[in-house]
Amino acid sequence: MFQVPWSEYSADLWEGLLKTLSYTAVGFVGAALLGLAVALMRLSPARLLRIPAVLYTEVFKNVPLLAVIFLTYFGLGSIGLKFDAFQAGTLSLVIFYAAYLSEIFRSAINGVHGGQQEAAEALGMRRISTFGKVVFPQALRLALPGTNTMLVDLLKSTSLLVTISAAELMSQGRLITSATFRALEVYLVIAAIYFVLCYPLSQGLLWFERRIQAGTPLSVGRRRRLRAAKALLAQSQSEVTA
Amino acid sequence: MTEVTENRTATDVLTIAGLSKSFGGRLVLDDVSLSVHRSTITAIIGQSGGGKTTLLRCLNLLERPDRGLIAVDGEPIFDHRVVCRDLPKLRRSVGMVFQRFNLFPHLTAVENVMLAPLDAGVPEQEAVERAVNLLRRVRLTHRATAYPEQMSGGEQQRVAIARALALRPSVLLFDEPTSSLDPESTGEVLRVMRELAADGMTMVLVTHELSFAGDVADRVVFVDGGRIVEEGEPGQVLGNPREPRTREFLTHFSQSHQSQSHQSKD
Repeated sequence: MFQVPWSEYSADLWEGLLKTLSYTAVGFVGAALLGLAVALMRLSPARLLRIPAVLYTEVFKNVPLLAVIFLTYFGLGSIGLKFDAFQAGTLSLVIFYAAYLSEIFRSAINGVHGGQQEAAEALGMRRISTFGKVVFPQALRLALPGTNTMLVDLLKSTSLLVTISAAELMSQGRLITSATFRALEVYLVIAAIYFVLCYPLSQGLLWFERRIQAGTPLSVGRRRRLRAAKALLAQSQSEVTA
Repeated sequence: MTEVTENRTATDVLTIAGLSKSFGGRLVLDDVSLSVHRSTITAIIGQSGGGKTTLLRCLNLLERPDRGLIAVDGEPIFDHRVVCRDLPKLRRSVGMVFQRFNLFPHLTAVENVMLAPLDAGVPEQEAVERAVNLLRRVRLTHRATAYPEQMSGGEQQRVAIARALALRPSVLLFDEPTSSLDPESTGEVLRVMRELAADGMTMVLVTHELSFAGDVADRVVFVDGGRIVEEGEPGQVLGNPREPRTREFLTHFSQSHQSQSHQSKD
């Protein structure tokens, strides 16, 4: 069955893999940032901010990703706004996934109990630090499962970029197929590579979720402060026993 | 304005005059005036829905009154509108303990206590030391690195008290601090509050613990229908009330309380 001379194509596959990963990384970071901005706009008391955010989310939740890709690459290209495949590809992923992520973020921020905001306010914390130190960290925990699903989904969706010859894994697969005419073998290998990427990623994210839920402090600052507190406590303990 | 300044003495931490507040057309606070002297404990008692909690929440402007005057440490913070330019600064001098604790669930006990000082710019080492010392004060050093969900209600409320003390406020407000606690936890929390009282902390508490109020408070204020019906020394208000409405409340209260304690004995 395996008659494709894979050693000849390993460099292409490697290149496709790296491309897929960079689409995923840039697309996800962009989508998360834009999604957060849209979520905050939707939660704003100002209608002028809320309405465009609602429109944005509803439009892009109800349009297929492939249409967005064609619009940014071919559509905008036809009116003189030319993007190369990488720009158009990442832009499409950012625009599309930001709509979904904004919904996840919005419900996560809403899910933080109102008493939390009040407690922070009563402690004299300003709005920005209340959001940054009290609301956001808790919302992040609530948003994690949905966000992680979206990340894996985004990675798989980069395969749609084959339609604009984005040089990622799927595009490499198509090139190898046209050179070897071994579609079953080539696409099985390509599918296996996606699996090998996505399975550990989603399992790793689940592990990360569990650690966060278990309360493992992640930030360097928290670890340092907790260490300092423990040291002080141990010191006073030994003074008591002595 | 003149009334407030004339009556104010150097020992006043809080001064309220003519405070009114309504929610959706319903008057919750109706022309309330009250002074809280330094190092005293004021207990606000009364039926649920009578305006006690709203009164308390107006004191750090978590709730905005409609009319009236509020001054903290002699500085007017509300004069028919918010006149305090720096609400965060005000709130650092008026600590608050909530009925439902409202600890930050994503942080350990000791981090809950140090968060506000860190945010206010206290150097890290000092904030950590302060937090550890405060946990010692509420006897919870052994729970310092526990998360709120791992703690009992009484422990959580004691962390909340430590957290409210971390900014060294000039007055502490307690909103029914023991209402969601079992009797044992209530005992733990009241013990800590008694110690704070002995240390000279100025406190205003909304409470259903009348025996505690009678024991610790310097003044008892009975609020009903948004008005202060009666105010005075605990022995007088709780033991020999002048107003028929206060008497009625106390009678009802002791009856329901007795039946409760009978049940718990069974």
